[in-house]
Amino acid sequence: MGSVLAATPPPPTPSPGGGGVLGGTGLLSVPPGFSMPPVSPVPPPTSPGQAAGESASPPSNPGTYEECHRKCKEVFPMQMEGVRLVVNKGLSNHFQVSHTITLSSMADSGYRFGATYVGTQQTGPAESFPVLVGDMDNSGSLNAQVIHQLTRTVRSKIAIQTQHHKFVNWQCDMEYRGGNFTSAVTLGNPDILIGSGIIVAHYLQSISPALALGGELVYHRRPGEEGAVTSLIGRYTGSNYVATLTLGGAGAHASYYHRANDQLQLGVEFEGSTQTRETAVSFGYQLDLAKANLLFKGSVDSNLVMGAVLEKKLQPLPLSLALGAFLNQKKNTFQCGFNVTVG
Amino acid sequence: MSGSGKKAVGAPAGGVVEWISTACRFATDRNDFRRNLLVNLGLFAAGVWVARNLSDFDLMSPQPIT
Repeated sequence: MGSVLAATPPPPTPSPGGGGVLGGTGLLSVPPGFSMPPVSPVPPPTSPGQAAGESASPPSNPGTYEECHRKCKEVFPMQMEGVRLVVNKGLSNHFQVSHTITLSSMADSGYRFGATYVGTQQTGPAESFPVLVGDMDNSGSLNAQVIHQLTRTVRSKIAIQTQHHKFVNWQCDMEYRGGNFTSAVTLGNPDILIGSGIIVAHYLQSISPALALGGELVYHRRPGEEGAVTSLIGRYTGSNYVATLTLGGAGAHASYYHRANDQLQLGVEFEGSTQTRETAVSFGYQLDLAKANLLFKGSVDSNLVMGAVLEKKLQPLPLSLALGAFLNQKKNTFQCGFNVTVG
Repeated sequence: MSGSGKKAVGAPAGGVVEWISTACRFATDRNDFRRNLLVNLGLFAAGVWVARNLSDFDLMSPQPIT
């Protein structure tokens, strides 16, 4: 069944400094609140004779740049702290609201109200546009995203984040999906008055049905300073594994995802940064016992951080429980969390 | 003559000991970037090997009767 928590938009966290480097794309830090809701990819346009010979079939659309490392990252448990109660209620086929109460000793406790609207333009069996997602907390901070399929191959997104009545992050991006390639351009925090902003360009090309190569260019500018960072990515997809490597001026990121069977998935990740001169390796696994409605994720890394999350669905009730714990041996800290999701 | 011969034999041995001690210092220096990079690359390769070779078991299979 997969993770229940993965079906909900990731909780946004307030940006401490206000604004920041755009990313979520491999090696750069990402302003919080800019993650995509889970929307399945647009099926590539197929030619009439394509189904005949699978072994000689031309390479299909490789997906997006951000999705290359996602399969491995989804195996790892999400860090939880405190108590969280989430109540989801579908008001119609197109509209859903959610109420989230968070109690935490490390982060701010509070209440968030979220709403999701899915439009009537259906492009796939489980995909409709436009998608409007937003949530607001009790201090008035807003996170909102609008995703729309402009044409069969062009998709656009606008994301906005406010904090204490001020705009912290705003970005817009366009994505074009061709038959065997995907290109995207993102404009982040543009400010014409002071001449600042960030532009991120992605390109991913299917070389063969298994191999995809691509690149990323990030250009940032503010008064008195500008710079660009490039990185290259390569992904090889096997029958039950995906190996991805990203190399750039900021460092390297390698991930290996292996699906052992229907129950067990493993992930290994290596990250190295030339700026901080640090490297780290993480090993994670996911046990999915569908018959028991149980999902367990565990991880351990080279910084001696061990974590685990256990999710259990209480059938036939529309209720799921999640218990998580993280232990950092080096810093001698321990965090545990408890989530209840209704609906 | 014998003294210089002993010195010649002692010099390579001293060089080997020095090389070993340098290697040990490199392997145990947690603040060295190259050392950490090599160790973590080795751990990554070991993790990939474990994932590919030691993960073929079925949790829901019936327990063997003892």
